[in-house]
Amino acid sequence: MSDIISVKNLVEVYSDGTKAVDDITFNVKEGEFFGFLGPNGAGKSTTIKILTTLLRKTSGTVTVAGHDISSGAPAIRKIIGVQSQETTVDGDLTGRENITLQGHFQQIEGSKIKKRVNELLQLVGLESAADKRARNFSSGMKKRLDLATALIHEPKILFLDEPTTGLDPQSRVAIWSYLEKLNKEEGTTIFLTTQYLEEADKLCKRLAIIDFGKIVASGSPDELKREIGADSIKIGLENCERDRENAKSIIKTMTGVKEIINSEECINVYAQNASSLIADIVRALDSLDIRLTSVTFSQPSLDDVFTKHTGRKIRAEQLVKAPSAMFGRRR
Amino acid sequence: MTLLSDTGYIFVRYLKKLIRNPILLFFSLFQPIIFLVLFTQLLSKFSSLIVLPGGSYLEFATAGILLQNAFGSALQSGNSIVADIDSGYLQKMLVTPVKRPAILLGRLTSDAFRVVVQSAIILGLAYALGAFVTTGVVGILLIFFTIAFFGLAWSGISLALGMRTRSSETVFAIGGFLTFPLLFLSTALFPISFMPSWVQDISMFNPISYAVNAIRVLMTTGYDWGTILPAWGVIGLVAVITLGATLYQFRKVVS
Repeated sequence: MSDIISVKNLVEVYSDGTKAVDDITFNVKEGEFFGFLGPNGAGKSTTIKILTTLLRKTSGTVTVAGHDISSGAPAIRKIIGVQSQETTVDGDLTGRENITLQGHFQQIEGSKIKKRVNELLQLVGLESAADKRARNFSSGMKKRLDLATALIHEPKILFLDEPTTGLDPQSRVAIWSYLEKLNKEEGTTIFLTTQYLEEADKLCKRLAIIDFGKIVASGSPDELKREIGADSIKIGLENCERDRENAKSIIKTMTGVKEIINSEECINVYAQNASSLIADIVRALDSLDIRLTSVTFSQPSLDDVFTKHTGRKIRAEQLVKAPSAMFGRRR
Repeated sequence: MTLLSDTGYIFVRYLKKLIRNPILLFFSLFQPIIFLVLFTQLLSKFSSLIVLPGGSYLEFATAGILLQNAFGSALQSGNSIVADIDSGYLQKMLVTPVKRPAILLGRLTSDAFRVVVQSAIILGLAYALGAFVTTGVVGILLIFFTIAFFGLAWSGISLALGMRTRSSETVFAIGGFLTFPLLFLSTALFPISFMPSWVQDISMFNPISYAVNAIRVLMTTGYDWGTILPAWGVIGLVAVITLGATLYQFRKVVS
């Protein structure tokens, strides 16, 4: 697969001297679902603005679908679709009119627009509300309409700046499924920024994390999580006080175990291959007649990745945990 | 040709927004109608004190009220662009291949259209009250042209301000601040001979006076080109300045 977006040594300095983007280099492959993560003010939106021809870069090289961003802006605008962070639909126009107008802006023939608008209304599930004014739509409906307007010209690349922020879980899941369909079936390259790490984890094949204008990590979600090093196994014991040291000393001898600490449950084991260790641990403890109350296995989440690279959580109220397997009581 | 069609689409968008918010249209017409109905009644004895072109005060003042309305509407124009900047709709347009000048032209043509429709309503009402246009249909068309041209020229101020300040409150406040001094220090509502000499002097330099005088001669006297052409010249001059400022600000917003 060839690169559809290529960014080399991109720098953006605002007129007040702030370096919003500080020498970043990355690429997005054709057909890829790419995630661009970072805390607020990290440079995400600035980068998207440059890639979508809204903002002029200070220096560096950026090509989108083979066109240089400085000289090829008009050509780029024909093949990109953009959904910005704020929902931008015209409330005085109906759903259908909103999409149609965008089709006119994209210079699509009148006869084709009609058909395409109907397809899109169906895709985002707004057929029944199509001829009502968008003003009266719920925020989820507006977001879906906004997405439809960005898709009118079947863009090769879709830029989504926090497409699900502020949506209820149901609408969010609906949007996810459209996006996955679009990426898989139409081969649309998707460039997504999000504050929801769970969303990035689910959708994106590859991620870049930006902080203070620099890219601090990139790779597939799994690669990034693997970098964290270890999964964890939380073990609860029926008689923690009595059995703790015995349990620790036997687990310590197992291969792959990195660290064992005391915890609320009783002990936490950090290991590279935690999932395959669970059976061994259970068997060993059983043979020593140490009774378990619970065994919880968890993989590092993107949250851990994010915290490691940026030193903070993506958002204060955002706590994404990945409880993967839960083992019940064993006697 | 895409410039033309893009302008058309944006024109239609603003037109739909206008028609679907009839309350806005009603309230912006409310003030001129009050002036037309009540103010002219209040001052109806005026014509016995002084010889007015057209005879009645109503006929004299209609030109001024038309201009007052055009002025008010023009000064609201900037709010629309602020709304589009705030909502992100401007950006939404800018990431498409839409022709950049069409964004401004669509707005300006819809402003011009709006002010012509409002003027037609005011002229109709004035006719019902007993004031009519001496120069007939061609005269009415020339009046519409003059008003639309005037509206465009003054829309430029609020558009430029809107893009510069990005605050509709500011646009609104400056609009309100400009309206009354400019109107009362012009020949819009009172004949020049009635004014103290210092107001006469100011009025001579007030661009609004020129536009009002042109409309007034078309309504009451005839094709007095010695009044009409200078008015168009003055409006053109204002337009060059205000639309130049608009274009300058627009370039900054767009790039």
